[in-house]
Amino acid sequence: MRKIILRTLSRFRLLTAAVILTVAGAVIVSLLPPLVLERIINELTQNQRVPAALGLEYFGLLALAGVLTACRESLLTVLGQKITHSMRSALLQKLDRLPADRLVRQDPGATVSRFVGDVDTVEELFTSGIISMFADACQMVSIFVILFLRSRGLTLLLLAVLPLVFAFTRAVQKRMLRAQIDNRAAVARVTNFVPETIRCIRTIHNLGRESYMRNRYEEVIGESYRAVNRTNFYDAVYSPVILITNAAVVAVVYVLSASGSAPVRAFFGMSVGTAVAVVNYIAQIFGPLESIGMEIQTIQSALAGVHRINEFLDQPVRWDAPEQIIPGKIQTAGGSDIPCIEFRDVTFGYDMKTAVLSHLSLTVMPGEQVTVSGRTGAGKSTMFKLILGLYRPVSGRVLVCGTDASRIADSSKRPLFGYVEQHFRLVPGTVRDQIALYDAAITDAQVEQAAVTVGLDQTIRRLDQGYDTPCTPGLFSQGQWQLLSIARAIAAEPPILLLDEITANLDADTEKTVLTALKKASAGRTVLSISHRLYEDMGGREFILS
Amino acid sequence: MKLRSTMVHPVSHPDRVLSYFRAEWLSLLFVTIFGLIYNIGLLAGPLYEGRLAQCLYDILRGRQPASAMSRLALTYVGVIAVVQVSRFLKRLYVRVFANNTSRSMKEVIYGNLIHESKSSLESQDVGAVMTKAVLDADACAEGMRKFTTEIFDTGVALVSYIALLLSIDWRLGLLCLIFPPISYFIANRMKGLVTRTNAEFRESSGRLSAATMDRVSGALTYRVFGCEPQRDRDYEAHLSDYEKKAVLANIWAGSMPPLYNVISMSSVLFIFWFGTRNVAGTGWSAWDIAAFTAFLSCYTKLSVKSSHAAKLFNAVQKAEVSWRRIVPLMKRPPEETAQPAAAPALLAVKDLGFSYPQNPNHPVFSGISFAAAPGTVIGVTGPVASGKSTFGKAFLCEQPYKGSICFAGKELSALPDAVRQAIVGYLGHDPELMSDTIRENVLMGTPGHSAEGTYPAADDALLDSVLRAVCLDREIRAMPDGADTRIGSGGVRLSGGQQQRLALARTLAHPHPVLVLDDPFSALDRPTEEQVYRGLRQTAGDSIILLLSHRLYLFPQMDQVIWMEQGRATVSTHRELMRSNPEYRKLYEIQTSGSENVKGGGRHA
Repeated sequence: MRKIILRTLSRFRLLTAAVILTVAGAVIVSLLPPLVLERIINELTQNQRVPAALGLEYFGLLALAGVLTACRESLLTVLGQKITHSMRSALLQKLDRLPADRLVRQDPGATVSRFVGDVDTVEELFTSGIISMFADACQMVSIFVILFLRSRGLTLLLLAVLPLVFAFTRAVQKRMLRAQIDNRAAVARVTNFVPETIRCIRTIHNLGRESYMRNRYEEVIGESYRAVNRTNFYDAVYSPVILITNAAVVAVVYVLSASGSAPVRAFFGMSVGTAVAVVNYIAQIFGPLESIGMEIQTIQSALAGVHRINEFLDQPVRWDAPEQIIPGKIQTAGGSDIPCIEFRDVTFGYDMKTAVLSHLSLTVMPGEQVTVSGRTGAGKSTMFKLILGLYRPVSGRVLVCGTDASRIADSSKRPLFGYVEQHFRLVPGTVRDQIALYDAAITDAQVEQAAVTVGLDQTIRRLDQGYDTPCTPGLFSQGQWQLLSIARAIAAEPPILLLDEITANLDADTEKTVLTALKKASAGRTVLSISHRLYEDMGGREFILS
Repeated sequence: MKLRSTMVHPVSHPDRVLSYFRAEWLSLLFVTIFGLIYNIGLLAGPLYEGRLAQCLYDILRGRQPASAMSRLALTYVGVIAVVQVSRFLKRLYVRVFANNTSRSMKEVIYGNLIHESKSSLESQDVGAVMTKAVLDADACAEGMRKFTTEIFDTGVALVSYIALLLSIDWRLGLLCLIFPPISYFIANRMKGLVTRTNAEFRESSGRLSAATMDRVSGALTYRVFGCEPQRDRDYEAHLSDYEKKAVLANIWAGSMPPLYNVISMSSVLFIFWFGTRNVAGTGWSAWDIAAFTAFLSCYTKLSVKSSHAAKLFNAVQKAEVSWRRIVPLMKRPPEETAQPAAAPALLAVKDLGFSYPQNPNHPVFSGISFAAAPGTVIGVTGPVASGKSTFGKAFLCEQPYKGSICFAGKELSALPDAVRQAIVGYLGHDPELMSDTIRENVLMGTPGHSAEGTYPAADDALLDSVLRAVCLDREIRAMPDGADTRIGSGGVRLSGGQQQRLALARTLAHPHPVLVLDDPFSALDRPTEEQVYRGLRQTAGDSIILLLSHRLYLFPQMDQVIWMEQGRATVSTHRELMRSNPEYRKLYEIQTSGSENVKGGGRHA
């Protein structure tokens, strides 16, 4: 995380330098007006006419400070966006390298809230001007120097008070952070709840569980609400305490300045002009402190967000990026003695304790059509994931055309396997994109051929813009989505077809169409399937897992 | 600090912003009282600072004793304390108000969402609904909070400052007040730009959310098809667009206020020119040092506040954009009318048929008639794609059917949804499990379920019995957390067969007099299937079960069998069909004897 920020800063060196310059400029310029004010008041108390130039000087400095502040805000916005952009890019790169197991187990909603919500909290730091407040806080150092020259006693007094203020700030911060982390976790649950409800809506309606789900939702929001209320309390109590302290310090300054005892006066004594200027400076010290306190909630959310981003970035990555191994010449028509798919004494489990597959061996020769069946949880889907190279066996080898499946590069998988998934996954883009999946190597002719094979070509051509119609969830029926899924699998003309069990609810006619399409797609290919329905219809070899 | 933590006032008109303010009248009353004290009290700051400076001047000149300062300083601290405590209470209540509002908005959205039909939900972009429900409600409530805050912190404060300035020197006050309106006028002219860039930014942000959702939830598909690099480039394009729009929106909204402040601060020139004359005794009024410093610091504060007037506008603007997006969803959610399970009764299906609206002349099936008494189990089968699932779904009445389905003499399609839901229990191919514990997935809240999420002992017994019925009890006991094991999104941590049985257990835990089960055993092996079937019969008791299946091992045990083929159905029994229907007979024989012969490959432990 720190690395990401530093890398971004060094990449945009010029911008960073400009930010530092404007920040420093704004700090210095805004220190000057009270000094001018001091002179004005002092002249006034001595019953002298104040030269007009002093007034102009005061306003000129104010105007310059304003302009510098505006520049600083703009530049900070740009820099902040650069940083959050790189944070999201880093998250994305991490996503690419996460093991399949993690992808399956993480709630997509929770991961999305890393990308969107948590990075947003960091973005808030820049847009709500908090970074600028820290710059204002730097001003304090220079203010101390000026104060020390004006009144030593006051400086000492402030030095005694400020550590207390700081300790108080830290105490509030710690409690806020805890509440914020709770809150962000609850927010992720709230985010996930809605898509989940949509997915399960039929069950909810059918069992009449609407009020249960509403209560659950209220509970989930309630959790977040309670965490937010905790932060609200600290948030509301912070500034008033700071400002009362400020008032007390001002009061002490005046009392001591007016003190009857000579030594005290010598130590604290000030002219009226100096007193007014000093009070002004004190406000400049407490001001930034107070603003930071006001936005402490934003800072804390950002810290909590960073915490969760780091958690995401610190996850283990999958085994070293597969070497660019492309399996040798694949023969589909038979006659080759290299098996297309081979499990050699494979043992595999998702955790150390339980083995899903143990000592499994299976050989599928080119051109064979094999259906795997077996007891629930016997590991049929797991076999697929091993072939696809998403997991590595604990022992034994999974070979595809003689090459270890886990070493085959992602980019060479598609020309090798067609994978028909359980559910069709709609991707953003046109109908053509659904089939080609943005693969530039797949020609339009291949896309159309795939559609012809599954019998969807006519339907697609009848759409407004044919293959270039933007795809929306309502465009096709359930069965047609399944056909698209098959077209997607065979578009790259792979020699091997992997058929998962199709779980969609299909009506009679479409189920028939889907099966016909599967049969056509299987022709001339090596097929490994776990679809019961297909087996009943097509036969082939059955391999029973137990 | 215990704030009202669970109770949210119901909102009378969820589609009107005012109702949300009205529902929170108590919090807002506190906000008003403490807001007034705070903002009027703010004047005390400059006034007392002026008096302190004057007092110091007098003491230094020997016109007052040193003790006068202690008294004045003490009063000053006391007044500031009262003001700040009011501020604390005001802030606290404003946030309580915003929290409650965001919560009731989300609850309204969810209450409506849950009553949408499956088909209408499928036609909406899930990512968009999600963004709407959570982000917009939050943005709206945040806007309402800022609006409420700014009414006091900007509105009331401005009025009091102006009053103070005019009371010190009305001519100079009026002169100074020329510039803040100019500054506000310019800010207002920028309004269009702020609105437009902000709207573009929100749109880009919505697109980025949708792209993120797609990239993350499709990660596995993209990996398997080797298109992660392409998707990453696409996502980067979204990021760059977002960056550009965000910079524009934020610069226009955020970087201009310091400049507006400079414009209003131009009035200090008047203050110095005329103010110093006042002190010297040659101006419009006779001033002392106290008056001068009070006037200057009061005007500085007014200027800062007036440049915040744009902030008030921005907050309202942002809230409006969000509000306009969610307002179509803000209907009053329907009352929950779920009813207890209906009593067992006779089911009579007469001449039932179904065809899709787009294809009315080609019925998927037609002319099915049968009757079933409580406790009957009916097997429904047929060759692949014979219309079994469509037949099963007819009982859900999601689309109109032809003919009649009568339960206890009442036509299903004519009944209100809630009444029908109490009659027909349905389990389709998708187990529709939730990312929660096994217990919650099965029980889904029962009447005895408390607000804290605990279930009475009777429910534990129910849970045990249904899990036993589907042969899942032992597997679950072996899990480290037992029935409190969380099963992950959609049940990913369970195998397909476990998911199927868990869904069946859930169906059994919510009794219905008619159960339609579409291929509930498809992922189970034969011994488990037989065991689960026995458990099902036992637990379902008097319910009529329609079991749609492509596997026939169990059909000899069923009371009736419906054979579907090419849109027609034969209602009979297993024995009768074995005698009269050669296709049924063939299918049954292949399955019962065949499984031992067809085995190929190797068997492995």
